Amino acid sequence: MLSEKTGIHLSIDQGVRLAPILTNETEIGGVRLIDEQVRYSLRFKPEDIAAVRKASQLDLPANIGMSSIKGGQLVLRLGPDEWLLISDLSRALALKQTFATLSSKFTCSVVDISHRNLGFIVHGENAENILNTGCPLDLSLHVFPVGKCTRTVYENTEIILLRKAEHEFHVEVWRSFAPYLSRFFETSVTDKAQIRMGARDDK
Amino acid sequence: MLLIKCPYCEEERPEIEFSYAGEAHIVRPTDPSKMDDTAWAEYLFIRDNTRGVHYERWYHIHGCARFFNAVRDTISDKFIMTYKMGLPRPADVEIAKVKE
Ligand SMILES: [Zn+2]
Repeated sequence: MLSEKTGIHLSIDQGVRLAPILTNETEIGGVRLIDEQVRYSLRFKPEDIAAVRKASQLDLPANIGMSSIKGGQLVLRLGPDEWLLISDLSRALALKQTFATLSSKFTCSVVDISHRNLGFIVHGENAENILNTGCPLDLSLHVFPVGKCTRTVYENTEIILLRKAEHEFHVEVWRSFAPYLSRFFETSVTDKAQIRMGARDDK
Repeated sequence: MLLIKCPYCEEERPEIEFSYAGEAHIVRPTDPSKMDDTAWAEYLFIRDNTRGVHYERWYHIHGCARFFNAVRDTISDKFIMTYKMGLPRPADVEIAKVKE
């Protein structure tokens, strides 16, 4: 697929064909593919966080498992020295300049992983149940509140999970795993899976 | 489901997110070229295979992606405690305290 916005050819189907549901236009039972995004993996020493925050003007969350959501830009703290930044394409150039400055000032690693991942939005009343068909974490609101994020698994596929709202989750997955993941999503939004999760009354 | 407390995430997380990484506190020899084959093989392959309280490494691979250390009872498969990499091996008294 050719990105109209950047002119870059995105071969999402590297070696594997995406299931027909995997297009941005269609949505199956509360799961939809997110438009093209800019993604950066940031690694730097945790003790530099205040200085990096000041130099980059990025809203870097202070705790592991927390995120900041501002406009079209998400920053997730995944580990002691690891942050993931996801942004809409309009900020691509500005971010590039920010990171050029950063890497000249700090011992850090900044890697553009925009096309390594695909993002899904899982939303609606059933979002928690859909995710819990494959993810072992307790996703109740008091345990996994809005803004919480983490790397975890969904049906043995590694994903990054972020709760954007009570009934809205952002799921990041490596591109080559996306068809597998989307097929599991498809299965879990069917009646059968919902009944198994106790989300619906069996007639 | 077995839950393991990651000392970095400070949360109990499902075992499926972790990967076992062998016995802990095994120090890499500073000058391997000076060692004979027996000693080197011992460092590489020979482990205590403890029955009971065992010090071991775990890797939160599908989480914060950090290695950490754990004390686990190999008989009951119960985790006694976990602690960050680089911290000294907890003394027997500390473990006894946690066990109570
Ligand atoms: Zn962890």
